[in-house]
Amino acid sequence: MMNQPLNDCVIAGPLKNPAPHFAATAFSLLYQSNTLGMKIECHDQHATDDRLSFAFKTPYTSAVISEITGWYDNDQQAVVTENIIQAACGMMSVHGRASGKIQALGLNYVSTLTAALALHGAVAAAIGQLRGLTLSSSRVSMAAAALLSESQYIADATATELPEGLLLDKTAHSAAPPFVSSDGVVFELETLSADPWLKFWTRLGISPALAGKGWTAFLLRYAKAVSPIPSELMHAISKVTYQEISASCSQTGMFICPVRAIDEQVTDEQSKYEWLRGPWTFDSSADVKNIQIKPASSTLPLSGLTVVESCRRIQGPLAGHLLALLGAQVIRIEPPGGDPLRGMPPMSEGCSARFGALNRLKTIREIDIRLPSGQAEVAELVRHADVFLHNWAPNKAAQLNLDYSNFLELNPTLVYAYAAGWSTDENTYSPLHSIPGTDFMVQAYSGVADKISKTCGTQGGSLFTLLDVLGGAIAAQGITIALLNQCMNGVSTKVTSSLLSAATLLCADDFQNQHQAFDIGAASKSVVNGVYVTQQGKIAIECYDHQTTQRLIQALGIAADIEPAKLQQQLCCVLLAKTAEEWVTALQHAQVPAAIVAENLVDLHNNPRLKSILNLNSKSYTQVPSPWSFQ
Amino acid sequence: MSITVIIPTILRPLTNDQKRISITGYKVSDVINGMEQQYPGIKEKLVSEGNAHRFINIYINDNDIRFCDGLSTHLQDGDVLTILPAVAGG
Repeated sequence: MMNQPLNDCVIAGPLKNPAPHFAATAFSLLYQSNTLGMKIECHDQHATDDRLSFAFKTPYTSAVISEITGWYDNDQQAVVTENIIQAACGMMSVHGRASGKIQALGLNYVSTLTAALALHGAVAAAIGQLRGLTLSSSRVSMAAAALLSESQYIADATATELPEGLLLDKTAHSAAPPFVSSDGVVFELETLSADPWLKFWTRLGISPALAGKGWTAFLLRYAKAVSPIPSELMHAISKVTYQEISASCSQTGMFICPVRAIDEQVTDEQSKYEWLRGPWTFDSSADVKNIQIKPASSTLPLSGLTVVESCRRIQGPLAGHLLALLGAQVIRIEPPGGDPLRGMPPMSEGCSARFGALNRLKTIREIDIRLPSGQAEVAELVRHADVFLHNWAPNKAAQLNLDYSNFLELNPTLVYAYAAGWSTDENTYSPLHSIPGTDFMVQAYSGVADKISKTCGTQGGSLFTLLDVLGGAIAAQGITIALLNQCMNGVSTKVTSSLLSAATLLCADDFQNQHQAFDIGAASKSVVNGVYVTQQGKIAIECYDHQTTQRLIQALGIAADIEPAKLQQQLCCVLLAKTAEEWVTALQHAQVPAAIVAENLVDLHNNPRLKSILNLNSKSYTQVPSPWSFQ
Repeated sequence: MSITVIIPTILRPLTNDQKRISITGYKVSDVINGMEQQYPGIKEKLVSEGNAHRFINIYINDNDIRFCDGLSTHLQDGDVLTILPAVAGG
C-alpha cells in the first residue's frame, strides 16, 4: 500500500496568506497536498487579490506555475467569492429549484472543486513536460469550475429540442425528498427500480397509481434537480416511525439512510481515518523497470494516452470526460445497443444533450461485459491502454474477472481506477456497500446534507448532483496523479476514490476544526452573505471582512454605525431602489463582491464574462469548455 | 381501440421519423405487437423477458404502466401511450 504518491513533490506559494475570497481554495489545496505526501513551502508573502498562485515541483520537471482566478478572463478581475460565483454561474438557481428559493449551497463547493482542478492541472502539466511538451503553467478559474459542475444542466437547458413528454412542469416546490418520519427523523430513500418503490408505498397504504406519480417525480431528481413527490406520499410516511419505515425498506428492497449530523460524521473514528488518508487510496504494485514514457501527440498533456472507461451515469463518465479534455483518447464501453441514457431527453442531433455533455469526446465500443467473450474483448483493449476506469458496484470487477489483479500481468504499467460510491477500500467489509452509493444517499450519510440544510433552512441536501461532479473530478485527478507517479517512479497503481471521499473533501474544514491534524487554518465565515431582491432581478452580495462591509454600507448610503443585527433588514430595503444590474456596477466600482443572480441557465449567455466562453456555436446545445489552459 | 403512441426521438428512426402514430389494441402489449408489425425492431427496444425495459418508461396518459398492470394494462379508446427513456444519475 502506498498512499502518498507525490511525497517527493513540492507545492510552494503564499497559500497560508491568501486573499479571503481564495481562503477556502487555498485550504483545500493544502489539505489535498498534505494527504498526497507533498512537501509544503508556504512563504509569508501576501497573495494578490486577483489570483492565487502556487508552484508545483517534481524532481524530474521544472516547476509548473498554477494560477487560480475568479473569472476566465484575466482582464476582468472584479473580486469574486464562492457565493458570487454560485450566483452568477447559475448554481444557486439549480440548487434552488427544489425549494423554490434561490440560495447558496452553504458549502465551499466551487472553491473545493477549483482546488482539485488546479492541482490536477499542475500535475497534468508536469506529465506533459515528461512527455516532451514545454508546459510551464496551468490556469483554472472558479467560474470554469462552476460551469463544469453544471455542464449537464446547461446542456439540458439549451438543447435545441424541447424536453419530451410529461416532465411535470407543474412542479410544486413544497414536497421533495428528504422524507421525515413521525418521530422526526429526516432521511433519504433510494432505489434504482420501480418494483421496490411500488411495494414500499403500497405497504404504507398508497394506491399504485399515486405511487406511480411519486416514482415519476422521484426519477426527476438526477436530471432536473426537482422531485415533486405527491403530498399524499409525504403525509403517509410522516405517520410512521423511522424504525417501522426502515423495516418496510428491508422487506421491500428499498434503501434508507438518515440525514446524519456533520458533528456525528467528524467525530466518527472511521470517517476521521478516511479524512486523514485523503480522497484517494493508491495501491501500487512492484516497480516496473525501464518504463517507456510515451511522447505527447498534441499540445495537451495527456494526448497520446488511452483511457478505457466502463462507467454509467455521472461520476465515472465525468472523470473520463475530464481526461479527454486533457487530451487523452477515451474509449467508452457501452452495452450492446448503447447506453440507454443516450435517449434521455432533451435530444440534440440524435443523442441526449445531457449525455453528450459528459461523453461527446469519447469513442464508443459496444461490448457485453457479462459474457466471457466480452470480458476478453475488454482485456484486449486494456492490454494496450494506459488507464482503465470503472464505477461498478463493489466487488463486481472481481466477478467479471476485470479487477486490478486480472490486468497486472497483462499490462504491468496500467493505472487502474475505481470511482466508487462509498468506501475507497473495497476489500474491507462495510454495511454501506449493500446500499446504492448514489449522490443523495452519500449527501445524507456524510454530513453534507446536514450542512446544506443548516445554511438553507431546508431539511436535507441538494438535488443538484454536487457529489457526482466532485467525485468525478477527484477520480480523474487521482488518475492523473497515478500517471505522474507511473512516469516518475515506474509503478502501476490502482487508485480508488468515491462519492463519500468527495464528501469528506468537501467537509475537510469541519474535520480540521474538530481534530486540528494539519497545519492549516480554515477559511473564516462571511460578514455579509445573501441574495436580495432588487427593482429588477436578484443580486448576490458577499463580504468576507469588515472593511468590505464598510465599503458596501458606504456605497449603498446606509448609516456607517448601523447595528449588525439591523444590516440585513436595511439591505433588503435599500436594494429595492435600483435594478440588480445598476447595483452590481456600483458595488463592483466600490470593490464589493456582487453579481446578478442567474435565475435561468439560458441567461448565462447574457453574462459578458461568460458569453465568449459559452458561445453556442453548434446547432446542438451549449457545451462547457475545458476548465484548464496551459502555456 | 385506437391508441395514439408518442414516439421518443431515439426511436423515431424506426418509425420513419413519425412522432405520433395510431395503433389499435386492448392492452399495452397489443399496441406494442401492433407497432412491431408496422415498424419491425421496435419491440426489442421496449420489452425484455415479458416486461418493459428498466430504462424505458411507458405511460398511459399520465400513468406509468409499472404501477398499473404492466404490459397487460387495459386501454380505453383515445388513450395516449407515451414512451420515454428513463432519466437517471448517480
